[in-house]
Amino acid sequence: MSHTVDIPQSIKDSLRKFRFARRNEGSAAIVIKINKQKLIMEEVEQFDNISIEELAEELPENSPRYVVLSHALVHPDGRTSFPLVLINWAPPSSEIGLLTLHASALLNFQTTADVSKVIEIREGPEGLTSDVVNSYLLGK
Amino acid sequence: MPEVFNISQTPITAHAFNADRSQLAVSFNSNDAQILARQGSEWISTETLAEHDKVITSIDWAPNSNQIVTASQDRNAYVWQQTPDQETGKIVWKPTLVLLRINRAATHVRWSPKEDKFAVASGARAIAICSFDPENNWWVSKLLKKPIRSTVLAVDWHPNNVLLAAGSADMKARVFSAYIKEIDERPAATVWGSKLPFNTICGEFASAAGGWVHSVGFSPSGNVLAFASHDSSISVAYPGGPVHHIRMPTLPLVTLTWASEDTIVAAGHDCQPLVFSGSEAGWQEIGTLDNGSYGSGSKVGPGSVGRLKTGAFATFRDADSRGQTSSGTTDTKLNTIHQNTITSLRPYAGSPGQITQVSTTGVDGKLVIWDIASVSALTGRMAAMSM
Repeated sequence: MSHTVDIPQSIKDSLRKFRFARRNEGSAAIVIKINKQKLIMEEVEQFDNISIEELAEELPENSPRYVVLSHALVHPDGRTSFPLVLINWAPPSSEIGLLTLHASALLNFQTTADVSKVIEIREGPEGLTSDVVNSYLLGK
Repeated sequence: MPEVFNISQTPITAHAFNADRSQLAVSFNSNDAQILARQGSEWISTETLAEHDKVITSIDWAPNSNQIVTASQDRNAYVWQQTPDQETGKIVWKPTLVLLRINRAATHVRWSPKEDKFAVASGARAIAICSFDPENNWWVSKLLKKPIRSTVLAVDWHPNNVLLAAGSADMKARVFSAYIKEIDERPAATVWGSKLPFNTICGEFASAAGGWVHSVGFSPSGNVLAFASHDSSISVAYPGGPVHHIRMPTLPLVTLTWASEDTIVAAGHDCQPLVFSGSEAGWQEIGTLDNGSYGSGSKVGPGSVGRLKTGAFATFRDADSRGQTSSGTTDTKLNTIHQNTITSLRPYAGSPGQITQVSTTGVDGKLVIWDIASVSALTGRMAAMSM
């Protein structure tokens, strides 16, 4: 199957390492962007033990990003688990061409990262809060 | 003596000069903007900027970066830059679309003092603050929405590049913080407040009797805000201090600018620029820049207001009770230079804190450049009341 954006092996390795890293406290995230000129994915940065609100501040307001989040989820019965969730960060003020490219490559990225849960954040920083993430994960 | 140029037979919706005043960007109430170049005492059209689908409502020319921004009723704004054309090599103006994400017409646009942002007022009850995103090579816009309840009619930037004054049809003049994280550094504290995230309201003012706020302006220092409302008044607001209202018995003013820290020049439906002066202690009208001797109309001047003194009623009453027949066509001509509403008044010459000349354009298609120093007292009308 042909893909619009290539995922280099280094990204796949980073994703695997991120997935299997042992989590003790807090939420960790890895942020990936698309390089429009070269049509490949690139890792932007990784965060350890960051809150969702801080993550919303760090993400750019005018560019789409893929964020693989390992979220510290507290279940109603007291257990803590660390599910992986993919956040499709797509603020409306992003450049249209990049937004379309981002949308076309999402499915491919999702299968490569092997993450089943996807949250779409299309409003910018107001839409990404811990409540949104928790209710999505607990509801599923 | 004011310099008068009859540049068009159609109304001039907006005008903006370039840095050395040798070129003028105008909109003649149409979808295109014209660039006129000065040749002696004439303005010759050199280029047409055609990209908008509806009437261009406002134009601003950034003096340092030499970019023009046009805003239109088609809900878009374009930023124009001079680049060499691909085929001919001539320098032409190339447009870049800015997606404002508003769903109503744009009404007013102004570059910020540093020319890295511009603000677009719109009928969508929002102001779009647009900045350039170098990562994606395009202009992004952020909307200021709360608590605007109606069309925004005018905007003006504070000298610190962060605060923005906006006058709206919901009868309020407001000061917003238009701080963009990627572009601005944290501004120093001002009389309007400190630590101001985007969309903070730093002040909200209304005039004495209410009325659409047609024009707003910060003083050269940025510490005072003046606005003109449709209740024929000018209000001067000192944050944390008094708000002075100057109410006039004449027609409303729709555009104003500060000439210096204690002088405001404003114009509107009376077709002549008026000068106001004052300080925190109080403000008053001191006169007009058009003393009536430049125009060539009859005595139907600014002194006669009211439906019984002008027009058809007066003509027939004079013919009946005084036996005076109408004196040809001169009594339809005003004795001011502008024959119709002045819609735009902008600084023309002088340094930012001491403007010496202003330029006005209006519905009559004239461009006039006035000398602020030649103020004459207003005759034939009541002295302005100030509170």
